[in-house]
Amino acid sequence: MVKTDFLVIGGGPAGLCAAIETSKRDVKTLIVDEGVELGGQLVKQTHKFFGHEGFYASVRGFEIAKKLISQLNENVTVKTQTTVTGIYEDIITAYDREKDLVFEIEPKYILISVGASERFIPFKNNHLPGVYGAGAVQTLMNQFKVLPGKRVLMIGSGNIGLIVSYQLLQAGAEVKAIVEIADKVGGYDVHARKVKRLGIPILLRHTIKEAIGEEKVEGAVIAQVDEKYNIIAGSEKEFAVDVICVAVGLVPSIELASMAGVQIQYIPELGGYVPYRDREMRTNVKNIFVAGDLAGIEEATTAMIEGKIAGLKVAEEITGQNLDSEIERMQEELVEFRSGPFSEKVRKGLERFFPQEMMSYSKTSQQDLGPVGKLRPVIECYENIPCNPCQTSCPAGAITVPENINSLPIVDYSKCTGCGICVMKCPGLAIFLVQENFQPDRDLVIMPYEFLPLPEKGQEVIALDREGREVARAQVVRVVKSANKTHLVHLSVPAGMGEVVRSFRLPKETESFVCRCEEITVDQVERAIEEGFTDYEELRRYLRVGMGPCGGRTCRSIVLGILARKTGKTLKEIGFGTFRPPSMPVKFESIVKGEIENEK
Amino acid sequence: MRRIEAHPILEVGKPKVLKFYFEGREMEAFEGETIAAALVANGVDVFGKTEHSKPRGFYCAIGKCSSCLMIVDGVANVRSCITLVKEGMKVRRQIGRGEVTW
Repeated sequence: MVKTDFLVIGGGPAGLCAAIETSKRDVKTLIVDEGVELGGQLVKQTHKFFGHEGFYASVRGFEIAKKLISQLNENVTVKTQTTVTGIYEDIITAYDREKDLVFEIEPKYILISVGASERFIPFKNNHLPGVYGAGAVQTLMNQFKVLPGKRVLMIGSGNIGLIVSYQLLQAGAEVKAIVEIADKVGGYDVHARKVKRLGIPILLRHTIKEAIGEEKVEGAVIAQVDEKYNIIAGSEKEFAVDVICVAVGLVPSIELASMAGVQIQYIPELGGYVPYRDREMRTNVKNIFVAGDLAGIEEATTAMIEGKIAGLKVAEEITGQNLDSEIERMQEELVEFRSGPFSEKVRKGLERFFPQEMMSYSKTSQQDLGPVGKLRPVIECYENIPCNPCQTSCPAGAITVPENINSLPIVDYSKCTGCGICVMKCPGLAIFLVQENFQPDRDLVIMPYEFLPLPEKGQEVIALDREGREVARAQVVRVVKSANKTHLVHLSVPAGMGEVVRSFRLPKETESFVCRCEEITVDQVERAIEEGFTDYEELRRYLRVGMGPCGGRTCRSIVLGILARKTGKTLKEIGFGTFRPPSMPVKFESIVKGEIENEK
Repeated sequence: MRRIEAHPILEVGKPKVLKFYFEGREMEAFEGETIAAALVANGVDVFGKTEHSKPRGFYCAIGKCSSCLMIVDGVANVRSCITLVKEGMKVRRQIGRGEVTW
């Protein structure tokens, strides 16, 4: 039997913040967590958080986890790899996986901050290995540095789908497409822009129809949907992928709350069935609190604030200190974070529990693009998301996010020195520095870059526009490395392209051609084979390799050689394809002329 | 191998290597990783079969979906996604619901 003042079930952002508040006030706190380390989902978040400095804006998720854990003191006992299996009237049971035994806990107060589980969707063959929840893909690649596959199809364009797609690219995988059943992107515009400019298509009004494969995923079939989300027959498209990543939302894990007697209500805006709680995160059971995703699907910042509120309230009741002003301050933080348009659903959901307040904010965006020819920031942040590191990081005070963090940023170009700190800090990677004609006939674009390898000064790269289309060749004129890993790449682009170029890719190291007529490279042939085109005739139709004027005289043997090497088959097994007339290109005119001559 | 060798944001350290067995085959794992992560790193995607012989992988990786149940050192129904891999551990695919051992 373990006795404690305060039991925290789930050591994610909410649970950790609660424990920080109670332990600071000498409340004996026990954190029980199912995972192998504390931090919950924070440990797998590699992107910088939105918000303001008070809640770690512009700090990457896994670093926030470390910062929170470091604030726990000697009043905290941590039990990881332990699952709370039951909340009974008089006792709580937990299973310790390491010791393989169930033990009892007797706490005075409980916070249930167990988070949520991944939503699943039905489609044909969705049982196949290779169909992963987005969180699982993050766990594998960001926590354990293992990639589950090479080619991924992402289902869902909410923030998680967009962020995980970007992270997959950072980890070296390929994302074939992001499929979204609705007619608009679900997540933040800035997250969508990050993946679009890298060339990942977001297919709206599409859904997954089936996974292809026997033992594991080898492909996916998607299809368009009509207004009622029914599949439009004949609109199917096939992708050769080895991972189907499902990012269609989360379901609050209400099991423990419900068995503890907490009232459960169905509130779709909060993610489905959620426990009742008041403004102080207390449920209808006096000594049980809830916080974080369990209390309603939101994001980590509000989870942290909710955790703090619950922790403060518990500390107040146990120690007898008056903490009302601190609790109120946190409640105001929540109001501020939830005032934007993206929190409309959450506000509507919470309205069922208690009245919601809102702060007004400015919807006015930057009206001008600033003085042409001056090195200056262009902020492509057009949605009212709660975030202000651009303002707080600017050493010249040139950027303002008026009223509160939900307003749009405004630049005072007369104050801006062009230092680029805002580009580095912006969690949405939405700020670029631009200077027209910085050299004769060349514009300068400075952009944030978070990929490997970093290009080198002097290197030629392929410049991409906001949609990831190749628009020009560009030269890297400078690379500024940043401690926060958002490096700044200075690109010299043709004059007039400063407003167009927003990304780039490195050219392939060597372009060895297989087919000179159609300009098909070794790389393209190899990739097509990896995608499943393992027959010469299929390759020909897919790539047009060997379909140029020479009729394959130059490339056929090379392609067959690559095929043999990649598939492990012999040349004899592969065969050599079919030869069809004409054996050399002949003008239709000549054919017709011959016919006419014949008829004479 | 599917291990990420360099990452633009995360440090890729050099964890201690240990050996475990999957279906009798010796495999390498990193200390501190889960059984599931070690298997995926070794190219194993099929963690078991359902009662109706459908291949199973795992879905959530945080111990919630119960799709990753395997037989570990003779014990069935171990959540391989939240159980750390250990030196010499014997991991096998689970077919169906697994048998109770005493």
